[in-house]
Amino acid sequence: MDWNFLFVNILNGVVYGSFLLLTSLGLSLVFGLGRVVNFAHGAIYAMGGYALIVVMYGIGAGYWLGLVAAPLLVIPIAMVIERVAIRPIRHRPDVDTLLVTFGLSSMIVGGIEYVWGTGTKLLPPPSPFAGIVDVFGNQYPLYRLVAAVVSLLVSAGVFVVIQFTPIGLRIRAITDDPGMAEALGVNRKRLLTLVFGCAAGLAALAGALGAPIFAIHPEMGMNILIDSFLVVVLGGLGSLMGSVIGAFFVSLTKSIGGGYFAEWSTAILFLVVAVVLIARPTGVFGHGRVA
Amino acid sequence: MRGLWSVLLGWFALVLYLGTDSLAIAQDAIKIGVLTIRSGPAKPIGDDILAGIETATKMHGPVLSRPVELVIEDSLFNAQTAVTKATKLVQQNNVAGILGTSTIEALALLSVADRLGVPIITSNAGSAAITRERCNKWVFRTNAEDLMSVESLQELVKNTPRLQQAKWFTIGHDYPWSRLVAGSVKGIKDLQYVGETFAPLDTTDWAPFIARARSAGATAVIMPVTLGVPLLQFIQQANEFGLTETAMLVSPIGLPDWLVEKLGRTSTNIVSAGSWAAWRYEEVWSATKEFNQAFYAMHGRVAGMQSLQSATATLMLYNAIAKAGSKDSEAVIRALATVEVNTPVGLLKFQPDGRQALVPLFLGPYEKLDSPRYGATYGQRAEPFAASRSLPKSAAEYGCKLS
Repeated sequence: MDWNFLFVNILNGVVYGSFLLLTSLGLSLVFGLGRVVNFAHGAIYAMGGYALIVVMYGIGAGYWLGLVAAPLLVIPIAMVIERVAIRPIRHRPDVDTLLVTFGLSSMIVGGIEYVWGTGTKLLPPPSPFAGIVDVFGNQYPLYRLVAAVVSLLVSAGVFVVIQFTPIGLRIRAITDDPGMAEALGVNRKRLLTLVFGCAAGLAALAGALGAPIFAIHPEMGMNILIDSFLVVVLGGLGSLMGSVIGAFFVSLTKSIGGGYFAEWSTAILFLVVAVVLIARPTGVFGHGRVA
Repeated sequence: MRGLWSVLLGWFALVLYLGTDSLAIAQDAIKIGVLTIRSGPAKPIGDDILAGIETATKMHGPVLSRPVELVIEDSLFNAQTAVTKATKLVQQNNVAGILGTSTIEALALLSVADRLGVPIITSNAGSAAITRERCNKWVFRTNAEDLMSVESLQELVKNTPRLQQAKWFTIGHDYPWSRLVAGSVKGIKDLQYVGETFAPLDTTDWAPFIARARSAGATAVIMPVTLGVPLLQFIQQANEFGLTETAMLVSPIGLPDWLVEKLGRTSTNIVSAGSWAAWRYEEVWSATKEFNQAFYAMHGRVAGMQSLQSATATLMLYNAIAKAGSKDSEAVIRALATVEVNTPVGLLKFQPDGRQALVPLFLGPYEKLDSPRYGATYGQRAEPFAASRSLPKSAAEYGCKLS
């Protein structure tokens, strides 16, 4: 048994899982609060990558300022999208919001292609974190570790906000019992707009963090969107803790599976998801809501 | 009132005359269908293909003294869509031929080529079956087939001592071409082959697969990864993990030049096992230079191998139509079978009784240029290799029986 090889694949899984956690947290929050399955989440992830290069090359700011600014640029756009395109149809059958967000996704990607073209942009990692470090005898890119730490810290921050702040209390109340929460004075519409924007900010941050690793191109959000949906299905739609477990389950399956059973890794992953959907439609931990 | 009617009638007559004249011009043009990738991650390939066709069309000028009109359709890189769009090009647009296809489209069109009944020239499809056991009288190919690439890989290894001593590993996408490439490496005598891994087609994170190559101690990695964004991501991540320091990366069919430019210095750590075309062939072939200049004037960048190849296919088609003296499909394919054309990849003709062009492959390292040319600072040194010598004298010998 090559333990080094196993260790590197586990590390790869943890790194990718941290990105996945950022995007799927947002997806889960939006569904938990508003029952909106947001197909535009992947396109918003791509917006994050492009917002980063706008700040870095358009304004001439450094990478870290770009990393902070990219989500801040995307949040208000997402809030406008929610207000204009999603709120008016939120009370309709789920398939309507699904179709609208799917259309929004195409529009966003088309807009990106119109402005920046269809070409791929390579972004080198920021210089203090370019290069390789030794992790228990294995060479590993430093930037991936840094990006993973940032993702995990932000995700932890989201949990702190949800669990320990007044706004988090309102979000949990709406998720658990929308009717009672609204009766007690929680403004669900305004809260959903805010949460939608913040979820978009998380996705945009993931896109900006991932840009030096996965390159920037208009369709860059598609794969992580699919993986994010797998995460929320596994963990349970609307369950944040489920998203944590789901994110690392998906990423480790892909990573370890890719290392040992490359051609079968995707099949194994989807098989597990299918079993979960059949056996536990509310997610592995049963906390989520059935769509 | 009478004056007003006269004005109206005169205006109507003028509109009718202009419209008829425009209609006559439109009817006069020879329509050529371009069926290629216009969306998705592989769109850069389609961009190059279309750019090559447009440049060659402009360079060539009228065909049979008639202007050429390109009718462009997006194949979506999907077999069913390709068949639908090709049918539309033939039945609604009345095209005289179809250019621009890649492997997926070319394989799909083989099954309906008899029904379409127009020449189809692919310039971006490597599957040997297209011109071997599945050959069809309507479908031609100007780029090298996969089995010709095997020949050039052997030549590369023969000429590169470092590769002869290397521990070879294959990292590719999980589709037949990757396995063919892996098989071709394993088939080279006395080469040490230490492993292979085939990633799902939607892979964006190549870390597990790179780890596997490193774990196997690979010092030469051949990478049959889909050209376009996936290959760029793979090379970038291989560089990130330091694989380009410990292993030589080998590209089975070369790199698109837009990718070479993006990779910059990293591209000099990569060798091509036989590019389908190379713009630096202009250093010995004037037709390549003329094309490069026209391409740069039109598109503001260097011509990549897909552009050079699609231009070659375009010139073959236009010359065949001219030789046939008409756009009658049967006459054109008879002319295609015998025409010899000066193209950006050399003097080209198709194999007798076959549909595969006797085209060279280009070996040679990627280098930093002494000075930028056509906007490029890196480019492959073009060392032509007669890969078509691997083909038998007659196409029938490898299963191509044209009815």
